Amino acid sequence: MNRRDLEHGSVVVTDDDVRRLCEFLYRQTGMMFAQDKRYYIDRRLAERMAATASPSFSSYFAALRANAENEIEHLINSFTVNETYFYREDHQFRCLTQTLLEVIAPKKQPGEPIRIWSVPCSTGEEPYSIALWLLENWESVDKYEIEIIGSDIDTSVLRTAEAGIYGERALHRLPKDLIARYFEKRDDGFYHILPEISRSLQFTRANIVDPAQTALHRNFDVIFCRNILMYFDEASRRLAAENLFDSLVPGGFICLGHTESMSRISALFDACQFADAMVYRRPLESS
Amino acid sequence: MPLLRRGKPDETPPPVETTAALAGELRHPDPERRWSAARRLGDRPGAAEHLAAALTRETEPRVVEAIFTSLARRGGEESAPHLFPLLRSDDAALRNGAIEALQTMPAALAGHIEELLHDLDSDVRIFAVELTRKMPAAPAPVALCRLLDRETHPNVCAAADDVLAEIGSRDAIPHLQRCRDRFATQPFLPFAIATAIETLSRAAH
Repeated sequence: MNRRDLEHGSVVVTDDDVRRLCEFLYRQTGMMFAQDKRYYIDRRLAERMAATASPSFSSYFAALRANAENEIEHLINSFTVNETYFYREDHQFRCLTQTLLEVIAPKKQPGEPIRIWSVPCSTGEEPYSIALWLLENWESVDKYEIEIIGSDIDTSVLRTAEAGIYGERALHRLPKDLIARYFEKRDDGFYHILPEISRSLQFTRANIVDPAQTALHRNFDVIFCRNILMYFDEASRRLAAENLFDSLVPGGFICLGHTESMSRISALFDACQFADAMVYRRPLESS
Repeated sequence: MPLLRRGKPDETPPPVETTAALAGELRHPDPERRWSAARRLGDRPGAAEHLAAALTRETEPRVVEAIFTSLARRGGEESAPHLFPLLRSDDAALRNGAIEALQTMPAALAGHIEELLHDLDSDVRIFAVELTRKMPAAPAPVALCRLLDRETHPNVCAAADDVLAEIGSRDAIPHLQRCRDRFATQPFLPFAIATAIETLSRAAH
């Protein structure tokens, strides 16, 4: 029997406890942690047990399963890197320009825009990344009108997104020449995205589990909805999946975070494995 | 600049339709209309009855899924009484949909779980065991332990064993041992129970 004292030596957690926790995390998020990550797991588990004043693993696990005080979200946050930055998971942007738009664009009528939705968009790094990626990497970009809408439930992050001002850390994955072309460096060391870019995007408030709000966001060809569904309970995930389905045009695509799987949430979408990414598609014929 | 910014989305609320009108739409020949009605009924008090009735005739999987999602949105007090009968359905999609929807209604479930665990139909008892997996309350393992002490069907015991391995504690071990002894000649159950006992005995207090 392998028993370990967590950080402060007062709480004992066994290998089986860790296995039960890992199984729960896998079902919730798709993230897999093996025993060789034991130190990583133990540290985060100890933090959460301390934060919830849980005297034992069993009491903590019961609180987790009950999602008391949103503990599922807190635990997942402790296991994930929540920092957002430009060109995060850019393999999906590559998939967008190399595959998805090559499917979508030829079907567009003259004057009919390509519509892309980034939800939740937080402080705007993702929708701006999409804009920059398209301008830099899609050779047909000048042939089409492209609408990019970023939405979030939090109006304060939307104001930040509209301002378009970022620190160096958010830009660390962007090539220097690209930063020079699309940002103005300010005296305080921050970078301001060019107004012609920020004015081209639209930011709106939307909660993806509210059908009334998502009903205002329709006819998208591509939706980026990354790293949010894993925080929801199953009922909310299914409702979000249906809302997103309605927000897509038939044949439209949805990109999720790399730990998320629409196939484990809903049978509404077709899974499409492309060279650069796994994405999900609303069937052309929905019924 | 190919990037284009249109005006804000039209925030004019859609015309209000009565619940009765939306319930009528659930019979529309166009599945798109049925899907839309099922989704919109999710925020209409009293809609569970109409949604559940539609399940008995609906053949389009996408619409069935939307109906279950809307039943879950209506909450346990309104929807659970319409979902329990589906546990006896011959249609696996309806049974599974009902289980998934009921698992989102732990409060409504708590008042009925013992009754379901005593059901004469062993299949219903198996589904009831599965329902306890998502029940947050402490009584779930206790109910499963009591079930193990009286249950005569090995498949029900196997289901309870599987769930207890996940949500149970060392307190379940004596119940599992007694069950294992009763089914000692079964080919699979003693092994499954031994595995669960091993797991639970390793779990820290």
